[in-house]
Amino acid sequence: MTTGSLLVADLVIAVLATAGWLGGGAASAARRRPLALGLTAVALLATLARAITITALARAGWWFAAEKILIAGPLSLAAVGVAGPRLLRAPGDIRAVALPLLFAGYATSSALLVTILHGYPASAGAGLLAVAGVVAATAISARALGARPSRTVSRVALVVAVAALLTGTGLTVAPGAAPAVPHGHGPPAARIADEPTRRFTLTAGTATVDAGGRNVAAWAFNGQVPGPELTATVGDVLEVTLRNRDIERGVTVHWHGYDVPNDQDGVPGVTQAAVRPGQEFVYRFRADQVGTYWYHTHSASDVGVRMGLYGVLVVRPGPATGLDVTVPVHTLAGRQLPAPRVERVEPGVPVRLRLINTDSTTHRYAVAGTPFRVAAIDGVDLRGPTPLVDTAVLIPAGGRYDMVFDAPATPVALFVDGRAVYSTGPVPTATGAWPVLDPLDYGATAPVPWSRTDKTFTLVLDRGLDLRRLLPRYAHTVNGAADPDIPQQVVRLGDVVRFTIVNRSQVVHPWHLHGHHVLVLTRDGKPAAGSPLWLDSFDVRPGEVWEVAFRADNPGMWANHCHNLAHADAGMTLHLMYS
Amino acid sequence: MRKALVVVSALLLVAFAVQFVLAAVGGFTRPAGEDAYALHSVNGMAIIPILTLLTAVFAALAKAPGKLIGLAILPIGLVLLQPLIAMLAEASTDASGVSTPLGLTIGGLHALNGIIAVHVVVGVHRAARELADPVPADAARLVTREGEPA
Ligand code: HEM
Ligand SMILES: [Cu+2]
Repeated sequence: MTTGSLLVADLVIAVLATAGWLGGGAASAARRRPLALGLTAVALLATLARAITITALARAGWWFAAEKILIAGPLSLAAVGVAGPRLLRAPGDIRAVALPLLFAGYATSSALLVTILHGYPASAGAGLLAVAGVVAATAISARALGARPSRTVSRVALVVAVAALLTGTGLTVAPGAAPAVPHGHGPPAARIADEPTRRFTLTAGTATVDAGGRNVAAWAFNGQVPGPELTATVGDVLEVTLRNRDIERGVTVHWHGYDVPNDQDGVPGVTQAAVRPGQEFVYRFRADQVGTYWYHTHSASDVGVRMGLYGVLVVRPGPATGLDVTVPVHTLAGRQLPAPRVERVEPGVPVRLRLINTDSTTHRYAVAGTPFRVAAIDGVDLRGPTPLVDTAVLIPAGGRYDMVFDAPATPVALFVDGRAVYSTGPVPTATGAWPVLDPLDYGATAPVPWSRTDKTFTLVLDRGLDLRRLLPRYAHTVNGAADPDIPQQVVRLGDVVRFTIVNRSQVVHPWHLHGHHVLVLTRDGKPAAGSPLWLDSFDVRPGEVWEVAFRADNPGMWANHCHNLAHADAGMTLHLMYS
Repeated sequence: MRKALVVVSALLLVAFAVQFVLAAVGGFTRPAGEDAYALHSVNGMAIIPILTLLTAVFAALAKAPGKLIGLAILPIGLVLLQPLIAMLAEASTDASGVSTPLGLTIGGLHALNGIIAVHVVVGVHRAARELADPVPADAARLVTREGEPA
C-alpha cells in the first residue's frame, strides 16, 4: 500500500470511528440498545484499525503521523478508556453509557478536525483547543441528557475547558516567526552591459483567439496563444521588451527553468513591480543554458497563465539540424492546445520533439511508432539515455521533456492524454495501457558533485485553515503556514542546500524553485538510480518524500512554490533568500 | 433559548441555500479554476460549521427533547464530511490529473450529502418552531400550559 492510499484509508477509518461513537451515543440516549452496541462495536474496530494505519504512517515518516500520534492517539485512548469500562459493566439501562460514548465521539472528532484543519506540525495550541472542544461538548451533552455530575467534576471540567481554551487560543493566535517578504530588495541590478544580439517585443493584451475551432476570450502576448516562440543560440544576449496594453492585473515575464540573474526573474513584488497597462519593462540576459524552456506571466499567475500569457523559449547549441518540433500543451477555455498537426517527414531525418506542459496539472505523453530516447528533461541533457519503446512519460506542470529519434519509414505520432497532437501519418496505436517511464532509473548514473550539505530544509505540503486574513480560507500550506506567513529560507552564497519535500495532502504538488535547477537525490528513501536529474519542476505525489539538493550560486530573493498555480495562489509559495 | 434555536436554525438554512448558490457560482465562473470556489469554501468551512455548532448547542441549552438534540447534532457530522468528500474526490484522479469514475462518484456524494444535511436541518428548524410555539394559536385555549414537557 502506498503512503498516499494509507493517508486516505486512515482518514476514512477515522471518520468511521467518529461516526460509530457519536451514533452509538445517540442510539443509547434513545434507548436503542442493539443499535447502540452495534455502532460502538464499529467504533472500537475502527479505533483498532487506526492504530495500524497510524503505525504504518509513522514508519513512512514522522511528518505523516505526528499529530495523529501526539493528539489523536491520546484522545482515542481517552475515548476507549472512558467508554470501554462503562460498557463492560453492562448497565441495565443503556442510556447510562450515552454520555461516555458521546465523549468518545467528541474526542475522536476533534482529533480528526486537527488533522483536517491543522495538520503538520502538531502544535500544543491545536491540541489544547481540541481538548477544550471535547470538554465543552461533553458538558453540554451532560446537561442535555439530564446527568447530574458532582460539583467537583463540573468544577474541574470548567477549569480544564477554560484553561485549555485560553492557552490554546493564545498559542494559535500568537504571531509566527514569519517576517513579510521585503519588497524589491534584490541585489543591485546585475544588468549585463553587452549589446543584445536577439531582440523581441512581447505586448500583453486581451484578445480573441481560436482554440480548437472556437473563438475564445484570452490574454495573449502579441495577440497569439501561445505567445511568439523565442529562439536563440547559446551565447546570444536576449533583450525582451514587455509591454502591457490592457491587462488590468499587471504582467511580468518569468523565464521558467532559465536561471537568470535575480532582477530578470519576473516575480512581481519580489524582483520587480508588475507592469501595469501602458507601462513597459526590458529584460536582458545572456542565453547560456541550452535547451527547452518557456516563459509566462508571474503576475496574477494562476489566471494569467491559464488565460494564455505564456510562450516557448528554445536555446540551441548551434544551427538547428533535422526536424525540431515544439509542443507546448495547454488547456485554454477547456480546449486542448496546440491543434493537431500532421506533416510528412523523410525517413532517416533526426527528429527532436520538445514537449512542454504549461498547464497546472500533469499530462501524459506517448510517442508511438518508433523507438525514442529522452534526451533532456527540464532543459538539461540526460546521461546515457537508452532507447524506449511503447513507454509513456508523465510531465509535471511546468516541466519539459525532449524526445529524440530518427524518423522511420512508417508513421510516428505523439499522443497527449490519448489525443494525437503531432503525427507524420495515421498511427492507430492505443497508448493508454503503456507503462510510464520513471526518470529516476533511466540513463547512466554519475556521482553527486558534492560530498557535504551546508543547509537542510524540510517542506511539508498539506492543507490547513488560514485565519490570518480578513476572510478565512482553506489554504494549501507549507509546514502548516500559508503565504505570506511561511518563514523564508535563508542560505549563503556557495552553500550546498538540501530540501526534503513531503506531501501529506491528497493532491499532487509540482514543486518549482526559481533561479536554480535541483539535483534529485532520493524519492521515498530510495536513491535516484539513473542519469543525474537536474529538475526545475517535479511532481511530489500524495505520500511521497523527495530529497533534492542544489548549490546556492545565484544570489537574490527567489520564489519557491507549487506550480499548480491555483495552489500557489492559495498559499503554497515561499521564498529562498541569500544572506 | 427556544427562540434562539429557531433563529439559529433558520440562519443555518439560509447559509445552506447560499452554499448551493455558491456551488453554482463556482461552476459557472470563467475562467474556471480552483479560486472559483473560494466563497463556497469559506462559507462551507467557516460560516456553516459555526452555525451548525450553535444550532446543536442551543438545542441542548433549550432543553429540547433528546431526539431533537440528536437531530441537531447530526448536521455537524454531515457538514464536516463535506470538505473530506471534496478532498477525496479531488484525490481520485489518474496520474495525469484526469477525473476517474470513482472520483466523480465521490464528487456526486458531496452534493448528495449536502442535500441530506439540508433535509435534516429543515427537520430541526420545524421541530424548533414547534418547541418555541408548541400549539397552533387557535388550539392554544384547549391545552393547559402545565401539560408542556419541561
Ligand atoms: C451542505 C452544503 C455544502 C457544504 C458545507 C460544502 C462545503 C464544501 C467545502 C468545505 C469544500 C472544500 C473547498 C476547498 O477544497 O477549498 C467544497 C468543495 C466543493 N463543493 Fe461543496 N459544499 C456543500 C454543497 C455543495 C453542493 C450542493 C455542490 C454542488 C452541487 C457543491 C460543489 C462543490 C464543488 C464542485 C467543490 C470543489 C471545489 C474545488 O474545486 O475546490 N457543494 N464544498
Ligand atoms: Cu500544489
